Amino acid sequence: MAAVSTRSVRHAPLFARGWGNWIFLVPATLFFVGYMLYPILRTLWLSFTDYRFLRQAPANFIGLQNYQFALADPMVATGLMRAAVFTLIFLPGMIILPLIVAVLVDRVHSRPLSTFYRTVLLIPAVIPGPMIFVMWRLLYNYEIGPINTVLVDVLGIFTRENAPQWVGNPSLVIPAVAFFEWWWGLGYHTMLFLAGLAAIPKDFTEAARIDGANEWQVFWHVTLPRLRPILAVLVILRFGTAMAVIEEYLIFGGFNRALPTYTWTVYMYDLAFQIGEWLQGYAASIGWLGAIGTLSVTALLLWLFRNRDDR
Amino acid sequence: MSMQATISQPTTQSRSRRKLRLRASTVLRHVVINIFLLVVVLPIAWIMLLSVKTLPDAYSGKLLPTEPLTLSHYDYVLTRMPQLTQNLTNSLIVTIGSIVATSICAVLAGYALVHLKTPGRALVITICTATLFFPTRLLSLIPIYEIQRAAGLLNSVWGLILPYVTLNLAISILVMRGIFEQIPSELAEAARMDGCNAWQALFLVMLPLITNGLVVLIIINFVTAWGEYLFAATLTNDQSKRTLIVVLARAFGGVGQFSWPRLAAAYTLVIVPGVVIFALAQRLYFKGLTEGAIKL
Repeated sequence: MAAVSTRSVRHAPLFARGWGNWIFLVPATLFFVGYMLYPILRTLWLSFTDYRFLRQAPANFIGLQNYQFALADPMVATGLMRAAVFTLIFLPGMIILPLIVAVLVDRVHSRPLSTFYRTVLLIPAVIPGPMIFVMWRLLYNYEIGPINTVLVDVLGIFTRENAPQWVGNPSLVIPAVAFFEWWWGLGYHTMLFLAGLAAIPKDFTEAARIDGANEWQVFWHVTLPRLRPILAVLVILRFGTAMAVIEEYLIFGGFNRALPTYTWTVYMYDLAFQIGEWLQGYAASIGWLGAIGTLSVTALLLWLFRNRDDR
Repeated sequence: MSMQATISQPTTQSRSRRKLRLRASTVLRHVVINIFLLVVVLPIAWIMLLSVKTLPDAYSGKLLPTEPLTLSHYDYVLTRMPQLTQNLTNSLIVTIGSIVATSICAVLAGYALVHLKTPGRALVITICTATLFFPTRLLSLIPIYEIQRAAGLLNSVWGLILPYVTLNLAISILVMRGIFEQIPSELAEAARMDGCNAWQALFLVMLPLITNGLVVLIIINFVTAWGEYLFAATLTNDQSKRTLIVVLARAFGGVGQFSWPRLAAAYTLVIVPGVVIFALAQRLYFKGLTEGAIKL
């Protein structure tokens, strides 16, 4: 290698500050612009037009008309409300359960056992989403699903006649979806918390214990504040994904407007690819309304979780 | 609070009592963890059991089978449903294509963001992070349908790869950035002194050091592409062009071709590759995570 060191002069500019290095970012940028940035901006433009896909006519600019219509459309308000209800049920469990598991697993000292726990916990994370949804549709089945079998035959809480209809009952389907979402995300979120816990120096918790703090106090006053950054990231990210859930709803409830799985996302999809002439202009405005609504709450959460070290 | 006293003046009695309490709490901890593990494993176990039950057992509504177990449903799914093999091939093409394309993009980008003095680095990272907070998939679906139609890629298996790359692009770049940050910049410096250009430094010096990170990348992208539903269901129409996931997600359980145990057999066949790959790569995966891939 030393023999070619004279060449370094010629190649040095590649390592220097320069736009030439952007050649490494070209592939990523092409995909980003072509399949993310342009489509999102195009959706924004469509939201100001009367575009209907199947009419085969060019889009006409109609100003804010779609937005005015959407704000008066009861299905939009209901759809946003339904998504918010799901998020409120889903979010606490998706944060607290993995946190509990992570704190427990973090203190398992046996290496093989700890690896075994982590691996088993992560199994659901490598199962494709739609498989989780259809699997749980079988598990939730009213007549022969194992959940009702346990409730009726093993525990005897219900009879075959009044057993819960997890998917068919409008008031049960959202908690049912939230539950399998917890099941699905438990391992992955536990790993994130475990990474956060591993970054806390053991001296800190030891010192607190020597000072006489009990386990609960150690967790509350030493561990939790140090997990704050990762907590903030997870709460905000999961809030966004929960508000924008669509596949679960499509698979569990389809396009049945009466079910609470028909949220703004399903409505948007329904309008854009199913109903009538495919009102994509209107659908785009609903998409942007939902995104703006979600992002405003995200901004609020960011502000709530802002660094307050200056106290 | 009373522990303060015991710690400052340890007596043999209190010490042994403390040890006993410690052991009780250890047992309790393992019990609670194992309850969580059971909740994780039982649903999967039930589906797998369903896939080897006879038809009467599958519809009996009892947890345990009464008749001998059978592999006939696997036989049926694998040999009598040729359509599913086609769908499986489609899934493999899309998944491998997306993993390769995304990984190339992310490795090159991560390298440029950490080890090269690329202008606009902070902006790129900000954009990547911002997309994580934005419902990008929903808001890009309608125009992507137009793009694919204009390019003649509607109903094309290979065409699906293009939108799939963006699904995990941002997170993959951030993961690779975390991985590259673990490699000391002195190494890049030394490579440069030895006459490597930026490409050689990446391929000869850096690449062997980021294999654990690549495993994390492959697993993340495998899970997404293998299981993606929304784009696949919207951008393909013919049953023969669809990915396995879309076909299975749309096949409602009932009687006939897609009876419950056959569905369960198909689910098992879809789930198992991912679980096996993960179990095999698990050690590398956890290493990759601790090497900073998880730093988001």
